[in-house]
Amino acid sequence: MNMFQRIKLVAARDFLVTVSSKGFLIGVFIMPVMGLLLVVMIPKIMAQRGAQLTVEVALIDGSNSMTEALKRELDPAVIAARREAGRRAAAEQAAPGAGQAAPATPDLSAPIFTIKQLPADSAIDAQKAWLTDDKLDKRARRALLSIPANAVARPGTGEYGTYALYAPRNLPEDAETLLHDAMRVALTTERLRADGLDPEVIQKATRVARARTVMVSPDGKQQGSPGLNRALPFIMGILLFMGVMIGGQGMMTSTIEEKSSRVVEVLLAAVSPLELMWGKLLGHLGIGLVMMAVYVGLGVLALTQFAMFGLIDPLLIVYLLAFFLIAYLVFGAIMLAIGAAVNQLADAQSLMGPVMLLLVTPYILTPFIGQRPDSTFAVAMSFIPPINPFAMLARLASSSPPPAWQVLLSLAVGLLAAWIAVWFAAKIFRIGLLMHGKPPSFGTLIKWARMS
Amino acid sequence: MDSTGEIRVQPALRLQGVEKSFGAQRAVSALDLAVPKGETCGLIGPSGAGKTTSIRLIMSILFPDSGQVEVLGRASALEAKDRVGYLPEERGVYRKMKVGAFLKYLAGLKGTPESAALSRARELLSQLGLDDILQKKCEDLSKGMLQRVQFVGSILHKPELLILDEPFSGLDPVSVRMLKSVVADERRRGTTILFSTHVMAQAEELCDRVVMIHKGRKVLDESMSTLRRRYDPTRVLFEPLDADADLSVLRDVPGVLSLQRSEGDVQLRLAAGTDPASVIREVAARVTPARIEIARIRLEDVFVDFVRGEGGESEVALRQHLQGLAGEKA
Repeated sequence: MNMFQRIKLVAARDFLVTVSSKGFLIGVFIMPVMGLLLVVMIPKIMAQRGAQLTVEVALIDGSNSMTEALKRELDPAVIAARREAGRRAAAEQAAPGAGQAAPATPDLSAPIFTIKQLPADSAIDAQKAWLTDDKLDKRARRALLSIPANAVARPGTGEYGTYALYAPRNLPEDAETLLHDAMRVALTTERLRADGLDPEVIQKATRVARARTVMVSPDGKQQGSPGLNRALPFIMGILLFMGVMIGGQGMMTSTIEEKSSRVVEVLLAAVSPLELMWGKLLGHLGIGLVMMAVYVGLGVLALTQFAMFGLIDPLLIVYLLAFFLIAYLVFGAIMLAIGAAVNQLADAQSLMGPVMLLLVTPYILTPFIGQRPDSTFAVAMSFIPPINPFAMLARLASSSPPPAWQVLLSLAVGLLAAWIAVWFAAKIFRIGLLMHGKPPSFGTLIKWARMS
Repeated sequence: MDSTGEIRVQPALRLQGVEKSFGAQRAVSALDLAVPKGETCGLIGPSGAGKTTSIRLIMSILFPDSGQVEVLGRASALEAKDRVGYLPEERGVYRKMKVGAFLKYLAGLKGTPESAALSRARELLSQLGLDDILQKKCEDLSKGMLQRVQFVGSILHKPELLILDEPFSGLDPVSVRMLKSVVADERRRGTTILFSTHVMAQAEELCDRVVMIHKGRKVLDESMSTLRRRYDPTRVLFEPLDADADLSVLRDVPGVLSLQRSEGDVQLRLAAGTDPASVIREVAARVTPARIEIARIRLEDVFVDFVRGEGGESEVALRQHLQGLAGEKA
């Protein structure tokens, strides 16, 4: 029985035990499901109300021309059309060409507005009691708009006046926003009309749809979807983060379990600490890879469905694997050392704090690095372990990939860091496995590394 | 071969000048040890004496600060792990794993093919009263059952050297008997066995040789036959047929130094060089015996002799511990 066979057996056991556990299956599939929930379901759930709100708007119109315009802008169909247009504009902003016109149907989540016109000389203070009347129906709300005459017709070439909105505390934010939106459109229309201009002509003249940017690569091929390009660095960051977390954390808990159940000494009778460590590292590397394969596979499948797979450079998947290997070895080795050093999971928390910080920070930075891949910060981060896999991968996935020498240098720096981390972990692992008692600090770990 | 001429074959295990300290505390001090092939050697001494550390040094789980360890002719146990069986004192299992899978895994790590491992596991488990448990999860077994499973795990691959660290601790008497019978089988197979215990009676029963460790130092390394020759016979145990018989007449039996009464019987200490047969004849002539016999050497007495005068715990507490009555010492 040689060393490699023993390492293979340890790795196979850890791998099979983990991937066949319910926890792993739930862990791998729960993330995409939760993501879907977050994106699709939550806004819908949030928008749902028990019953529709009605808002009675009292209007003191000093200009004597706004009532009809406001009624028109607060019509449910017009509100729905305005919301739809806003959504389309946002979608165009994120991914030009994606926003498609949909028929405007009344938005059931929006409140229904009714206008109650008051005499133009009504005093606002006198209406405040009406506004705050608490004997209203549960689903009824009130608001008061006051429009001065100069809000529509300005004196000479001076500035326009503006309106005021009075509302009780219980007026929902979306109702307030809808009122402001309606007022903005109604006022603009009426002001133009008062100056003798045709609002429809002006509206058409000022609307310029955001054009689709066509990315052109040096070989002349057209590349599309800058939206996907923008999201890619972050997606790479998530994949790297999750692969390291699932592989590393599983390895740490299994080591703690082996230590606390005292099975470790039985194992050490058959394998050396180094063989045990490499077996665990490789077994859980396999688990991280399975997880990433599932997600990358799902992603590729989704892109193929929309005939967009050509938008991703397949080399990026190779880079993802290479940098995952580095990030996993660096963070995994540290987590493994922590697992070997403590006696129970609770003791590992204090040591895991700094490690988590080092893991989460670069992952959060990936979208920013992806946006400015050539900034000094992004370039510097590409060579500083343990952040470099995240930074370099974000740059590789960005619209402006780094030169080859930087990629190679980052890989070399990463491999060196991985070697140091594994060397350090091996020293801690050998001593820690048989240590019981008070959980060690980072200082103690360094002392152990020196001792062995 | 050493000066006594007792070691006639190449030792299965040899330690030379092995030292190990943890910080300021010296756990093992200048330990020399040679266990010939096929011999059963007991590593004895109270808990905390350094037995487990010595065993971990032999197994290359710990490494000595100085000195040499040679296992089955190799410079380290790492090079001979497949030929060594080890049951540690701190033994555990993968709780969620099935017994069969766990044993297959352990045997696999030692290079034993799956089918051979399983058939031997079935045979050994049955011998230990554990039929049909291969499909059970480890967490569903009692502590005693698990201990027997772990023992099976240590001998599945038919080791040439078997190291057992306190193998009987915590077991009920029936399990102890079953385990001893399997140990005896291994011994017949020619396996060299090193086992540690703090219960001296177990060492007396099973060992060809005992190595006594106290505070990290070897204080005795003798074959049981030499020990018996050296210390025996110094005492005769006598139980009168008539419980009320006058025993004072035994005081002036030639060669008897002292009489010591305990529950129902009397212990006669003999002067060195006294022929116990003549004492027995004389005692039987004076008071009719229900039972009269030569007392065998007890390792417990040898050990207590060694540590007497060093202070520390009382002799009563030490004897209780060495008889396995007081359990593990902290």
